[in-house]
Amino acid sequence: MNSFAGHITDIRSSDGLSVITVKVNAVRFKAVVIDSPETASWLVTDNPVQVQFKETEVVLATGENPAVSLQNRVKGRISAIEKGELLSRVVMRTDIGNIVSIISTDAAEQLALQENTEVTAMIKLNEVILAP
Amino acid sequence: MIVLNLHKTLQSAQGTMSLQLEMTVQKGQFVTLFGESGAGKTSTLRMLSGLMDPDKGYITVNGTTWFDKDRKINLRPRQRHIGYVFQDYALFPNMTVRQNLEFALDKNQPRTIVDDLIGTVELRELQHRKPDTLSGGQKQRVALARALVRQPEILLLDEPLSALDSAMRQKLQQYILEVHRKYELTTILISHDVGEILKLSDRVYEIQHGRILRQGSPETLFGLGQSSAKFRFTGEVTGIRKAGVVYIVTIRIGNDLVKVIADPSEAEFLQTGDKVAVASKAFNPVIRKI
Repeated sequence: MNSFAGHITDIRSSDGLSVITVKVNAVRFKAVVIDSPETASWLVTDNPVQVQFKETEVVLATGENPAVSLQNRVKGRISAIEKGELLSRVVMRTDIGNIVSIISTDAAEQLALQENTEVTAMIKLNEVILAP
Repeated sequence: MIVLNLHKTLQSAQGTMSLQLEMTVQKGQFVTLFGESGAGKTSTLRMLSGLMDPDKGYITVNGTTWFDKDRKINLRPRQRHIGYVFQDYALFPNMTVRQNLEFALDKNQPRTIVDDLIGTVELRELQHRKPDTLSGGQKQRVALARALVRQPEILLLDEPLSALDSAMRQKLQQYILEVHRKYELTTILISHDVGEILKLSDRVYEIQHGRILRQGSPETLFGLGQSSAKFRFTGEVTGIRKAGVVYIVTIRIGNDLVKVIADPSEAEFLQTGDKVAVASKAFNPVIRKI
């Protein structure tokens, strides 16, 4: 699992759901959770929190600012790629640390991913887990 | 409320150990003692029940002193109103289920409690059978009922389910929860099974070398509790298989087998038989009526 330490900068709650913004260095992550400051005492602005997401939930894009709905974006450069028959494991170096992404080998080839390729990792906000 | 302050030098296979425990259990709580064998968990229950004397310290239960070394107070086990269930059932083989329960009655105690307990743990069909004709789970139900005949306020469970298979354990856990609530007991369980602890207890004490190492709610102690991943279970790894650049990990959760994809960085720390927590965001599962 990809895991990064950050701190909470914003909390918006409605009907038991909350969208939490967490800053990890210069990168802002948003996560939607079934919790609110009333149900989870650690949901407090400025509190430290871990941002976690599974390797299989990381979407990769090449090119500048692709127009897609994913707001969690981290830019980086591929440091290692292991291609399997069906799936490939891509390790990218970013300002917040290494991010691992598992994508289809077809997609990796279509995007011509290789070491040193500049890529943007994107994660849907409902795939981001927060843990104090 | 149970207040324990226990000091005892214990001899074990590893040598001498000094047990020093201080804990307060609220009335009605379900508490688990967790930790390696030889840590002093069973000795703690034995001291609370009066089967073993502390070297120093005191025990008070709901304001009454049961033991106080300095004031030379030491209630006998029978005066302490405790129900005790062990891993081996310790039933009388020559008596029927009902006779085993009736034998535990106090003089002048109305027999209605026996019928009530036989109903609660569903022993009606089995009440005239002898223990050696019963399965392990059935015997443990009888032992549980017998421990409650004298209507104790405190129930002590020393690994009562560890000899049973998974399906039987789950059933017994239900019975234990039911009697805990119905008879408003304060229950102290010794268990090594994280799933069982999460299911049953309000509070866990991890004991190591006779001291309390950590305490807290089971969710906090066993990791995933405070995470925002709401779709979570505990299970046991039954298989790990490499599939290209990832691993497929098979995990038994209750009676179901599930498969989870794991990155090599996680899979390399796993082996068959490991107890694991499995979690996902609650946004992925689909629900369909069956």
